[in-house]
Amino acid sequence: MNRLNRRTVLQGAGASAALIAAPGLVRAQAAPVKIGILQPVTGALAQDGEYGRLGAEIALNEINAAGGIKSMGGAALQMVFGDARSSPEGGTAEVERMQAEGVAGIVGGFASPIVLAASQAASRYDIPYVVDVGVSDQIVNRGLKNTFRFGPGFGTVTSTALENLSKLNDAAGKPAKTVVIVHEDGLFGSGMAKLLNERLPQRGFEVMETIAHPTPSRDMSNVALRIRALNPDLVIPSSYYAEFVLLARTMQQQRIRPKGVYAILNGAASNFRFVKEFPDAANLVMDCNHWADPRKPRTAQVRALAEKDGRFWLYNTPLNYSCVKLLADAIERAGSADRAKVTEALANSNFADHIMPYGPTKFVNGQNTGAAPVNTQVQNGDIKVIFPTEFADAKAVFPAA
Amino acid sequence: MKDKTLLLIAIVTLALALLPLGFESNVVLNFLAFAMIITLAAQGWNVLGGFGGQFSFGHAAFFGTGAYGMALLQVRFGVNAWLAMPIAIALGAAVGYAIGFLSFRARLRGSYFALVTLAFAEVFRISANVWSFTGGAAGVLVPLKLDPWNMQFADKRLGYWLALALVALVLLITHRLRESRFGAQLIAIRENEDAARALGADALAVKLKAIALSGGITAAAGSLYTQKFLYLDATLAYGPWISVEALLAPIIGGIGTIFGPLLGAFLLLGLGEVTKTFFANLLGGARPGADLVVFGVLLILCVAFAPRGVLGLLARLRGRGA
Repeated sequence: MNRLNRRTVLQGAGASAALIAAPGLVRAQAAPVKIGILQPVTGALAQDGEYGRLGAEIALNEINAAGGIKSMGGAALQMVFGDARSSPEGGTAEVERMQAEGVAGIVGGFASPIVLAASQAASRYDIPYVVDVGVSDQIVNRGLKNTFRFGPGFGTVTSTALENLSKLNDAAGKPAKTVVIVHEDGLFGSGMAKLLNERLPQRGFEVMETIAHPTPSRDMSNVALRIRALNPDLVIPSSYYAEFVLLARTMQQQRIRPKGVYAILNGAASNFRFVKEFPDAANLVMDCNHWADPRKPRTAQVRALAEKDGRFWLYNTPLNYSCVKLLADAIERAGSADRAKVTEALANSNFADHIMPYGPTKFVNGQNTGAAPVNTQVQNGDIKVIFPTEFADAKAVFPAA
Repeated sequence: MKDKTLLLIAIVTLALALLPLGFESNVVLNFLAFAMIITLAAQGWNVLGGFGGQFSFGHAAFFGTGAYGMALLQVRFGVNAWLAMPIAIALGAAVGYAIGFLSFRARLRGSYFALVTLAFAEVFRISANVWSFTGGAAGVLVPLKLDPWNMQFADKRLGYWLALALVALVLLITHRLRESRFGAQLIAIRENEDAARALGADALAVKLKAIALSGGITAAAGSLYTQKFLYLDATLAYGPWISVEALLAPIIGGIGTIFGPLLGAFLLLGLGEVTKTFFANLLGGARPGADLVVFGVLLILCVAFAPRGVLGLLARLRGRGA
């Protein structure tokens, strides 16, 4: 047996110290590039904001560990974090602070109202703004040159969801004919309900009733009882986390078992917290939402990092991870932190090193045209991809029971 | 006495107007402009709640009407922003009059009046959230066109000065109100409505005038909010957050005083900013939420030890010293 002696330990320590210090020495020559990360980490949207921040942190650490921005002499990326406080005013105030700190770009926002106000505030200083989630299609229809949305918008998600719902139903021999829509009464739930009411009848579904509920809601018994009375084949819920969890649990307690629960952009249906905490209520719930590409090896690595401290795997993390990498790639290609150059580099981006199932980015009027949602289903305590078929890792269980 | 207050208004306005000349920071400017909007909303509340003793929990109804009025007049009807603002203010006053008419005529007082105003604000919020004219839940977006003609200023100081001018105007109005016959009747109603009525004050008419004035002032705050953020949805315009801000600022600053809402708004928002920055520096990075805890504790202390607001506390200390 080789025994460690003092000399080998010292040699080893010296060598590792040199290794660790070396990139630091190179990097010390270049001034760091500041990146604004804007997330709502207090207030109603705190959970989403926290997971968004996590994704951004993982990306920044990874980029810096790999030697920073090479075209700028290995400049490190430095995070300037801003808490948007779940409100547009909060977001705007933080954009002003980021401007004062001289950021080269901003990533985040999460909710559409925050994104609308913050990207507008950023446009006054020509700060490139990469939207992480914000699905409202008003965000990219305003003609702001600084605003880029990496993920899919509302219209794309709904079309895909309906397309896949038809496929699912046809493949199973059309067991579902009647639908009840449950939605939160804010921007995304109401918009979704309106679109669904227009388009579901065209695809041969009958909408029996559309039930709106406010956010927050503390009791879903009435909604559940109404669903029981109507006895639809399908329930389509569009709600935030807490309300959908409540609805799913109430339905489970009351033994309301439709042939399928098909959520769209739901806050809980593809959230591992829900799946782990209430496995029975969550089982077989389907969702059409943002989801990381399971084919890419990096996805598993990012997920391992994200879950390291007992956290859950939510779509916010891979989306923000990818958005920060997208911005970093633009800075790399621009070779400068100059905002106009970074904006131009973003506009011409064909970045492919992200972990979303989108292919290389291509922005048209600030919208990434390749962005698309994924259909998932909770199956025995895991979240499986059921559409698109190219990388599905499970077959949909439909109708349930 | 009269001239002293006028002089004080002039000094405060001038000092606030000169503030942005001393520095370049847009962070501070953004804070100042937002503080002015909250001040205006709070001044509106103070006219009815402070001088009239009618505690409203639903000033969001007026704020939101001003905000939506401003946005929809521009977006749907193509009205110029400078013309839209007085119309929005008039709409706010009209909504105030209508709510006042319905609740004061029914002799609602105290907590009943507070609850009714809260309910009205919620009705407005839910209606705005479903009505396609107001953009429904998707809200309205005022196009960004930086031009003084559109009341959108490339130089943020201009936006701030506009808000400050309105605040100064309301300071003058409040001062006039306190000196006037109408103001005396309003205060008499606050102290004892039955006695005031017995002495010949038309309580309903006085209260209606007060709530219309209050609604108009708060609507002005809403219209400035629209021009600053250029985006509105039902929760932003009619949500309970603004009802609370409009009521907290005068309570903290000094209820029923001329400068109370201004002082209160600065203390409330300033405290939030200072604790946020302080904690970020102290803990070496953003530690979200910690500042809110401190903010809450300070607020409790403030209400516990200065029930008549900071101005009331100052007056009490001065009285003790003399």
